[in-house]
Amino acid sequence: MQLEVSLYPEPFYVGGVNVGLSVLMGWCALAIVIVGLVLLNLLVVRRMKAVPSGAQNVLELMVDGAYRWCSGKVGDSANVITPVVLTLMTYVFLTTIAEMFGLPAATQDLNCTIAIGLCVFVTVNVAGLKHHHGLKGRIKGLCSPSPIVFPIRVVTDCIAPCSVAIRLFANVMVAGIVMQLIYAVVPIALPAAFAAYFNIFDAGIQTFVIGLLTIIYTSEAIE
Amino acid sequence: MTLGLIAIGAGIAALCGAGAAIGMGNATGRATEAIARQPEAAGKINSSLMFGLIMMETCAVYALLVSILIVFILGAKVV
Repeated sequence: MQLEVSLYPEPFYVGGVNVGLSVLMGWCALAIVIVGLVLLNLLVVRRMKAVPSGAQNVLELMVDGAYRWCSGKVGDSANVITPVVLTLMTYVFLTTIAEMFGLPAATQDLNCTIAIGLCVFVTVNVAGLKHHHGLKGRIKGLCSPSPIVFPIRVVTDCIAPCSVAIRLFANVMVAGIVMQLIYAVVPIALPAAFAAYFNIFDAGIQTFVIGLLTIIYTSEAIE
Repeated sequence: MTLGLIAIGAGIAALCGAGAAIGMGNATGRATEAIARQPEAAGKINSSLMFGLIMMETCAVYALLVSILIVFILGAKVV
């Protein structure tokens, strides 16, 4: 049998324009998130009470946990990055877990992960500029031990979005290829056991890693 | 002949995983020692260990991606 491996997403045409299947999957994930948030707003947020109960408890636990996780590492900048971190984690989790249902993962496409990497880059720099009160302070922060390290630190900061993009892309792509290989060799029973690792566990790890990387890069930018 | 060379190249690319594995073993071992010595610093040690592990894992995944691309894309062109 022939395995199909390609760096390019499968074509998908909307009105004669090729947008790629992965873009469609990204839109589906966005639609799910928007519907879920509207439902949450109508059912939970409108009826919030001073003493939480039920679903409000879970929501407050999530948001509070994320704020505490961020502020433990970046201090006051947690106000800037926590919403972005939670958003990125939700998006990465939904698009990566789609692979479990036989759909192509949006993060299997380099376009999607580069966009995520640029989001991380902008977030980190906004947090850094805010913490240092403008460009002058940020440049001074980049020169911190001695001015010699300035170019090295600038290059390190500019490499960050590429690193985030390629690691996410490579992880999801390789997991997909390995699952295809396992399906090709043993089509029954065995893939289920491996899917638990390569689809569910891997999605969780990638979600955690994208949040952790954003926080770590921010903590480097504000020091 | 060419196909065999492609296979050897893919194998060499995947060797990068050995280095990543050694690094991961070292880091985890040292972190365990550090936690045994200072259990109250476990949280901080764990988070920096996680960061290091992620970096090493990235390196290994790059190698795996390169070797898989060599096998499938280069191999498909030859065959």
